Formats: sequence, C-alpha cells, structure tokens
Amino acid sequence: MTVATPGTHPPAESAATAPVLSVRGLSVAFPSEAGPVQAVREVSFDVLPGRTLGIVGESGSGKSATVMGVMGLLPETAQVSGRVLLGGRDLVGLGDRELSAVRGNDIGMVFQDPLSALTPIFSIGRQLSDALRVHQDLTRQAAWNRAVELLDLVGIAEPHRNARAFPHEFSGGMRQRVVIALAMANSPSVIVADEPTTALDVTVQAQILDVLRTAQTETGAGLVLITHDLGVVAGYADDVAVMYAGRIVEQAGANELFGRPTMPYTIGLLGAVPRPEARASGQLVPIGGEPPSLVGLSAGCSFADRCPAAVDRCHSQEPPLTAVPGHGQVACWRAPDIAGGNPAASSLFSPPEAAVEEHRPDRQVPGETVLRVAELARTFPITKGALLKRRVGTLHAVSDVSFALRAGETLGLVGESGSGKTTTLLEIMRLRPPEHGLIEIAGTDVAAPRSTEQTQRLRRTVQIVMQDPMGSLDPRLPVFRLLAEPLQAVGTDRDAVRIRVSELLSLVGLDASLADRFPAALSGGQRQRVAIARALATEPRIVVLDEPVSALDVSIQADVINLLTKLQRELDLAYLIVAHDLAVMRQVSDRIAVMYLGHIVESGDTEDLFTHARHPYTEALLSAIPVPDPQVERSREHIVLKGEQPSASRLPRGCVFADRCPLYPLLDGGTQQRCRTERPLLRPAASGTDHRHACHAR
Amino acid sequence: MIVVATNVTYLLAAWFLDPRSNYRGLRPVRTEEQIDHALAPYNLDPRAPLADRWWHWFSDVLLHFDWGKSPVGASVNSEIGFRVVVSGQLVTAATLLSVVAGVALSVFTASRQYGWWDRMTQLVSVFLFNVPAAVAALAVVFAGIWLNQHLGWRLLYVAGEKSPDVSGLWPTVADRFQHLVLPTLSLTLLGYVGYHLTQRSLLLDNINSDFVRTARATGLTRAQAIRRHALRASLIPTATSVAFSIPAIFTGAVITETVFGWNGMGQYFVQTIAKNDVHGAVAVAAFGAGMTAIGAILADIAVVVLDPRVRVR
Amino acid sequence: MATTVTSLPEPLDPGTTNPGPTARAGGGRLYLRRFARNRSALFGVALLVLLVLFSVCGGYLTHFSYTDVDFTALTQPPGGTHYFGTNQGGNDVYAEAVHGLQRSLVIAVSVSALTIVLAAVIGAGAAYFGGHVERLTLTVIHFLLVVPSFLILALVSHHLAGDWRVLILVLTVFGWMSTARVIWSVSTSLRERDYVLAAEFMGVRPWRIILRHIIPNLGSLLIVNLTLGVVATVLSETALSFLGFGVQTPDVSLGTMLADGSGTITTAPWLFGYPAALVVLLTLSMTLVGDGLRDAFDPHSTTGARGGRR
Repeated sequence: MTVATPGTHPPAESAATAPVLSVRGLSVAFPSEAGPVQAVREVSFDVLPGRTLGIVGESGSGKSATVMGVMGLLPETAQVSGRVLLGGRDLVGLGDRELSAVRGNDIGMVFQDPLSALTPIFSIGRQLSDALRVHQDLTRQAAWNRAVELLDLVGIAEPHRNARAFPHEFSGGMRQRVVIALAMANSPSVIVADEPTTALDVTVQAQILDVLRTAQTETGAGLVLITHDLGVVAGYADDVAVMYAGRIVEQAGANELFGRPTMPYTIGLLGAVPRPEARASGQLVPIGGEPPSLVGLSAGCSFADRCPAAVDRCHSQEPPLTAVPGHGQVACWRAPDIAGGNPAASSLFSPPEAAVEEHRPDRQVPGETVLRVAELARTFPITKGALLKRRVGTLHAVSDVSFALRAGETLGLVGESGSGKTTTLLEIMRLRPPEHGLIEIAGTDVAAPRSTEQTQRLRRTVQIVMQDPMGSLDPRLPVFRLLAEPLQAVGTDRDAVRIRVSELLSLVGLDASLADRFPAALSGGQRQRVAIARALATEPRIVVLDEPVSALDVSIQADVINLLTKLQRELDLAYLIVAHDLAVMRQVSDRIAVMYLGHIVESGDTEDLFTHARHPYTEALLSAIPVPDPQVERSREHIVLKGEQPSASRLPRGCVFADRCPLYPLLDGGTQQRCRTERPLLRPAASGTDHRHACHAR
Repeated sequence: MIVVATNVTYLLAAWFLDPRSNYRGLRPVRTEEQIDHALAPYNLDPRAPLADRWWHWFSDVLLHFDWGKSPVGASVNSEIGFRVVVSGQLVTAATLLSVVAGVALSVFTASRQYGWWDRMTQLVSVFLFNVPAAVAALAVVFAGIWLNQHLGWRLLYVAGEKSPDVSGLWPTVADRFQHLVLPTLSLTLLGYVGYHLTQRSLLLDNINSDFVRTARATGLTRAQAIRRHALRASLIPTATSVAFSIPAIFTGAVITETVFGWNGMGQYFVQTIAKNDVHGAVAVAAFGAGMTAIGAILADIAVVVLDPRVRVR
Repeated sequence: MATTVTSLPEPLDPGTTNPGPTARAGGGRLYLRRFARNRSALFGVALLVLLVLFSVCGGYLTHFSYTDVDFTALTQPPGGTHYFGTNQGGNDVYAEAVHGLQRSLVIAVSVSALTIVLAAVIGAGAAYFGGHVERLTLTVIHFLLVVPSFLILALVSHHLAGDWRVLILVLTVFGWMSTARVIWSVSTSLRERDYVLAAEFMGVRPWRIILRHIIPNLGSLLIVNLTLGVVATVLSETALSFLGFGVQTPDVSLGTMLADGSGTITTAPWLFGYPAALVVLLTLSMTLVGDGLRDAFDPHSTTGARGGRR
C-alpha cells in the first residue's frame, strides 16, 4: 500500500520507504471572466521512491494543473494553496530562485509535446550539458561527456555524433528521449511525466514508456505519470488516482482500481473505453452528460448530475475521499453500497435502449459498391527556401492503394501518422482526377468530364466529418447556417433548407433550440454531432470520417460512436473511417485496411484481422495498444518495434516495412534479399476470404 | 529587385515630373520649342519618346554609372557623391542604435513584465510611436538649443552636417560628431520604438513557449531562461524585420534632414521633386532601394547565424 | 483504452475549458466587457471622442474661418479673440487647427478604411488561391515594399498637387501592401483550417469561401489594423504635407500647419505647438483604442499586429 490517507502519516509497513513527494490539500485556482476557475481542489497524494503513481482524468480534470502546481510552473496569476512536501520541505510559496534550485535537481519533468519542448536553436548536447551545469559544478568537457552518456542511456544511436545535432533533425520519439534525458540528468528523486506519449504514435509510445522505466530504475526516482490513457496506466502504474472536475475521486492500487472500481465515474469510464483485446459484447456504454464547468461548482458531488447511483445527499454535500476496505480510497457517498455489491458496479450504466437489441445485424446481402479506389497514388514535392522554392525531393504520400466500399458497410483505414490514410481521404473528397489511379464514386469516374450539375450530384453523394469539430465548424457561424451551407451549395431553396435543418438536428439527437448557438457555446460532443449532421445534410451515400472521435474525451466518445452506428443502420450509409485507434476501429469497422508508408500492407474482415493478423506490422500495431486491464496488460507479450516510420520521401526499393520488421533478421538470406529488392504485393492470406496481406515471409 | 524598382521609379518620375515648367516662369519668356530644345542635351526632351529616353538613361547608368543631369544641366553624380555618405552615416547609425536600444529595453522589461519599469518604458514607447517625425525632430532641435543655451557654449549643432571651417583630423571628427548627435537621436527615438514593442511581445510569446518551460524545469530561473533560451529564438523574426524597416527609417531621414538642414539624400529628394529633376529623384530612389537591399542581405546573414534550422549541414 | 494520440493538450488555461456561462454570453458582450475594463483604452476612446467633437463643433466657437486673414493681428500669441494666436499671415490658428484636424481625420479614416478593404481582398484572395496568384501578389507586395514607397507617394502627390481627395486615393494605392502582407500571412493559416476545407468539400464557391469563412475570421485583425492604419495614415499625411507634397495651400491640414510653424519654433512656438499636440493626441488615442481592441479580442496574444508605420 502506498496511498496514504490525506493528512495522516503513511501506514507503518511503508515507513521504511518514506515518500519522496507528499502533496497535501493542493488547490489551484485561475481567475477568469466568469469568476475563479477551481482547476484543482484539495488534492493529496504520496509518491514513493521507485514506484509509479498514475494520475488519470479527462481533459479539464485538473491533472496537468496539479503537476504544474507541484513544479511551481503555473502562470503567475494562479492561486495555489496547500503543501507540496519534497523531502520534508514545503515548495508552495517558495520564490523562483529557490524553486529553480529544486527543479531539475530534485524533480525532473517530461512534457507532452516533444516537438516544441526543446529549444530549436541549441544543439541537443548543449541543452543537456547546460542542464547538468545548472546544478553541478562540472567543466564544460565533463558535462558534455556526461550528456553523451545520458543520450546513450535513453537509446539515442551514435550519441557522440548526435549530441551535436539540433532538435529539428530528430524525430518526435527521439526528441522525447532527449527530454527524458534532461529530466533524469541530475538524478532527481521524483520524475513527473505529463502525457509523455500522447503526441506520439502507438509503436513509439511503447519505446518511450520503456525509456521512462529505464530512467526510473537508473535514478531510483518516484514517477508521477499523468495520462488520459487508461491502458498506459494499467501497464505502468503501481497506484492510480482518478481525477474528475479538479478532485481525486478514487485512488487505489492498479489491480484494485481496475479489478474493483468503486466510484461510479471510474466504473463508467472503464465501461466506455473500447477494448482492443476483445470484441466487446457489442455496444459501448456511454456515461452520458458532460463534465461540469469548473466555475462556480455546486456544493454537491460534481459527478452527481451524470451519476446513475446519485441520491439526494450527493447533490447537496461533496463526499470526502475515504478509505473503503478492499477498494482503496473513494470520494462517493454510495461507495460502501457499491463495494457491497448493491447496486452492482456492472449494472450501473446501461447501454442506450435503441442499441440494446442486436448490435450489428448480419450483413447477409452486401450492398452495391458505392466507392471504388484503384491504384491510387499521390506525391507531394518537397521544397526548400522561402522565396525561391527549389524542389529537393518527392514525398510519396500514397502509393498504389486500392479498395472498394459497399453500401451499409464500414471500411476502416488504420495506420500511424504519415501512413497516408488522411491523404487518401482527401484525394477522394477533392473530386478531381487523381495523380494516378482511379476513383469511382457511385459508378462515376471522378476523372471523367462532367457538367456542373453532375458535380453537384457527386458532392451530394460523398461528405466528410473531420477530426476536430472545433476546427471544422466555422466559429463565426451559428449552427443553423453551418447546417444550411452544404444545402445552399447544391442549390436547395430557402424553405427546404429550414425544414431539412430541423430534421438534421433531431436526427443527431440535438435540441432544435441549439440552432442559433455558435460552436463555441456547444460542448465537444454537441459540436461533433453538428459536424455529423452537416455531413448528412445532402443525404449522401458515403460518409468519410477522419478520426471522428479522437478529439473527444472517452466518456463522450462512446456516445458519438453509438450515434454513428445508429445512423448507418437507419440510412444505409457507407462509412470510410480513418483512425489510428485500433480499439475504436474494432468497434465500428466491418473491414479494415492497415496502411504503412502509403501502402496497404494488410486488409480483411475486422475480426479476422484482429485474431489472425498476418503482416508483422499489423501484429506489432495490435500488440502496441495498451489494454486497460493490468492483468492482461502485464502478462501479455509485447512486440516493441525499433525506430519510427521513416519519411515517405525516399521509399525503399523492396518492402516498405523491411527496416523495422521484427521478422526480417530471422529470415534466411534469400528471403531477406527479396524483402530488400522486391515490393511485396497484396495476396490472399487464406483461400475463400478477402483477408489479404503483403509480405514475402508469411 | 533594385534594378526593377529603380526603373519603375524612372518611368513614374518621367511621367509625373514636368521639367518644362521650370523654364516657363523664366524671363525672357521662351517658346515651348525653345524649352524642349534646352532640355534635349540633358535627355529630358519631352518630344523624344519615353522609351528612347529611358534606354538612354538606363544604358548610361549601366555602362558609365552616370545617373544623368538635372534640368539645369548639373550632374546628378556630383550632387549625390557626398550626400550618399552623409545620409548613409545617418541611416546606419540610427538603425544600429534603434535595434540595440529596442532589443536591450525589451529584454530588460520583459523579464520584469508588468513591473514599474515595464509600464514606464512601454508608456514612453507608445507615446513616441505616435509622434510624427517632424514633431520629434523639432522637439530634439528645441532641446538641443535649450541645452546649448544653458551650457553657454555650442555643444551640439542643430543645423548642417559639418562646419565649413574645421581642419585637422580630430577637430573634424569631433565636429562631425557634434553635428551627428541630434539628428541621429531624433531618428533613433522614432526607430527604437518598433523594436522595443515588437521584441517585447515576441519575447513574451516565447516566454510562454514549451521550450522555455522545459528550460525552467531543468532548473533555470525565469530570468535566466528568458536570457538564454527565449531571447535568441525571438531575435530571428526581428532580424528579418530590420530590412523592411529601412524604408521607414529612410523616410524619417528625409524629414530629419529637412529639419536639421543636412545636405543629404533626403533633402536632395525634396529639392529634386520640387525642381522636377527626374534623374535626381530616381537616383535617390535607387539609393533607398539599395539601402533596403543591403539591409535584407545583412538580415539574411543574421538569420543564418541565429537559426540552425536554415543552415545547410 | 488507447484513445487519442492527437487529442488536444489539456487546457491549462481556464479560458478554454468547458463552455461555461461565459461562452454562452455571446462574443460581442464579452469583448465589450474586456474592452471596458482596459483603462487606457477607455482613455483613448474619451480622447478620440473629444477630438472628433472638437473637429466638428470647434468651428462654431470662433467667428474666424481658417481662410480669414486678420491684418490687425499678425503673429499674435494665444489669447483674446484668437484662442491659439495667429500666424505670420494673420490666419487664426484655432480655426486652422479645427479645419486641419478635420481634414487629417477625414483623410486618415477614409484611407484606412479603403486600405483595409483592398488589403483584405488581395491578402485573403492570394492566400486562398495560392499557386501563381499568390506568388504574383507577393512579388508585387515585396516590390512595393522595397521601393521607398514614400518617395513614390511624394512624386505622385506632388504632381497631382493639393487636392485632398486625390491624396486619399494616392495614399491608399501605395499604402495597402504591409497590411495585405499581414492579412495574407494570417489567411494562409486560416486557409488550412478544417472549416475551409470542409466548405470546399461541400462545393462552396471560392469567393464565397473567402467572403464567408476567411475574411470574417480575420475580423479582429481587420478592426485592429483599421485603427492602427489611421495612425499610420495620419503620420504619413503629416510627413507628406510637412514636406509640401500633401495637402497644399490654401487648404490646411495638421501637416501643413507643422510645416508653417517649424520655422518659427523659437519665436512663435504656438504655431507649431498646437498642431503638434493635436497630431500626437489624435494618433495616441487611436493607438490606445487599437491596442485595447486587440487585447479585448485576443487576451492571450501579446504580439502586436502593427502594420507599417510612417
């Protein structure tokens, strides 16, 4: 047990290992137009040496503000109270100079976005040796040597040469390694990592978490791992604290928290997460509602409005964090009841009624083909220079991509960033002759000449929902005009537009009164519903979805996924979905195509692909997704790929994956030769199915 | 770019300026024909097609570096020879001082954001931002006169670029310096403001950037992180803006030279336009464009020095 | 639960957390509230209102017109019937100042408005269409920025001598470039926004996208540049007139008054002092208003969108 009751001393058995960091009653408030924002309220936790505390929460839950408060890096307007005890010394209220002596020396920090976290104008080695010399009395040369050692330790190849490199020459994963080296440089007793892998691809995420673990063992530091990803926590944290609306609502050991969640929010969260390891029994179970605004919070439990177990007391009085035997600490009045099995945790949240019946009717008759893409290729010139642009290379964003989509069916394109999946979508949406290959929408070749009227008809047929509704909805137009725009563009008259807009709003489950709101006045989930309604305005047959839920929090994600499934069934839509999140994909797709460096390396029926992946990249991708279950996550075997997906500017002559392929070193010389020189073609993995993969070795 | 700019200016000048009007007021009254005839040797004869005049002028500039003649026959070259030095001195000194003063102030104040010094200097800068060049120059003249009166001897000159009767190396240097101080000061007052305000805001943007936060997380204090990490990164856009600010400084120089009675390019420009001196005006424009081009080249070099991302490895 | 790799960073900033009551209050009122809290901006507004009132109604307070010549009072210091004194020609400085301020204001406001329209259409158009259109526009802009445009201004306005309406035209034609460049660079990022792409995919026509999605989203930038454009125009009009290339006698602007007064700064300082003070107050009030507006629209940005000056 490492979780101490706030305000009391840790239990006797852990007295031998006194906490390196104790946070007691930490509160952070920011002034704002509408009054103080209570970002963090009365948060207490302990970090023990060598152990990992995971803090999970959705955006706005206060997890980042908590660690920034610990580091003393909050903006000066923030009001901080409580105690942050580092080795017995209270950091709250210290001046910048005193805190600077602590930062980097006793606490190291890893930030979310490695691309912007390093100063662009100094070499990697310079930044590292500077960090060392701030706290240690080292000569320039000694610091440099130590910097090179550190780079070696975090897995930077050729550290001597690379120490002289500048950040822009490094990939995201390599930069994050450097940031970790910076954090551990002076052997701190605590390392704080704020969403260290969120900005990285899944296959790189596994590498970085390994490096983080190395840093921890090397320094013996206690680690605070902030993340929204329950899978990461399940795999790496010893203890978990769940934050909601600025408070810790449940705190327990990882096994207890995932095995016996007690706070209804935790229960809901775990139920709403799509799981990659098994086709869930069908429907995702949304929590419903949205997190509260942190301004002028009500007196009661901040989750009460969304909580199915709420009683009167929950609305009037905020529950304190109390120990529940066998369950860790929970801030919930009903915790003893839930721990006792009444109500049972599993029955708290129920799937929406419409979807309770058969989740996915068997597709006995596949619909007609509505979209056909064959041998699609797209390149971009790489240019240098600001005024006089010279072409210095060619980026092969998409090469030789073929697939077909039938009515009523969902095809998922998965891959990491830079795999060409979004480019493929945009090529289809452009409705212009592709650079190479063929795009056929509802039987019409987009390259064929056509009249304005035919173009309008094509536009009506295919529509798009983009990743971030905040970005895809013009902030200066109210909902009504947003929804009217696609209709006006295809020449619908005014009355018809009005009727259609109200139809659309009810179709996606939005209240008609929202029509005159601006996007900024909507919640994230409502915004994405508006974006979906807009895509449906012209009654398309194909809807292209670019990462439709990745900008949303888990508790809202499930709602939107369910809505999409419902709409597909009712309107017989064909979906082409792009996502990097395989767990979501498994939930929504009928068929999946895996892309790597602009090529489809494997495609097939979703279940088939998940259970019998043939291509080594697909295998690695599936293995890299953390499973939100500590037992599964810690026992299963991980395939950690080396390196990162290279730039598509210089495609290898043979297999595009050969450089990172875990299989390649095990192959005999002849096959290796083939992998190097001959690009493998997609071929059936087993006769009778449309499961196909492109690999010489399998 | 300079070449094109200069040529366009030539065409505009030839189009808009009418050297004939200089002669119309003269006694005895001359016929139009006589005037045209008088202008012909200076390549200003309006009867010749514009294209011919342009070609004549352009080839002279290219082949002999001869910038042509004024409507009364004076050589432009001999006029601008010393004026270029005079104005170049002024513009260069003012630009350098502006950059140094502006950047230094911004660093000093940004690390004391919203402190007394920050507010004070910002107030002064915002005020100066709004002062027209003429007013600033005259205010400096006023201050100079006041200073001289109070000292009882002439420390700083408020008119002219040099005294006619000074000889010897050191007296000459001292004399030039006494003349230079006030005009440079008035130009700098106008020029530094832009650098101070933009550099300050660039710095503040950078202070909130991720890499400064990282630097602070390694144990640098806020002030150290600003000096070591934010400043150099934020200097990059400033370096590029120097080139674009030179035309503004040059414009300021036109007014400053007029007020201080300097025989520089700016004052020459006013004269040439008033006297319909096509060739003279074009030469001034070429000078301005040339200064801008030099500024742009220097700015490019500065960016390469500051920013490893544009260096070719 | 491998969720979002590309999710938005968790907002540390309270202003962007979940839509609270503030977001529902509507943008306009919010901006107004922020503006009203800014003391220096309010001071600027007050000053501006006073100056406009002065330019419009000031004339009624004296029975002299700016063209009147009072031969009984040449180079009179302020006082008596001539509130601001008279100049060497016996013109009433007060009447001149009222008229000059009016003239300068009209010129500045019209030039600034015309400039912003021109710059917005050119800048946003270049950014949206990209390719050759963009390259050509930028070349023209850079070219005009390299040419000492002030000199060309002087050249052209000297030829067209005197008429203030022509001056407006000339100042606009040679003054839009730096604003257009700022608008272009902001528009290039707007052009990449998803909602522009979405509109394209819906089949919305290019100019409609520019007018409906790009220019409205430049809103605050345009308003701020409008006020700062007034400052820049007043300053360049003053400079031109000072050198004798702008407004010309018998018409009067603040610039010509400065020029007239500069020769006698030691003997008759009021001839210079009053117009100088008016110019500075005018530009200062505009700057304060502009800065206030910018802070109200975008409280997080500290970067000024100051266009070219002088």
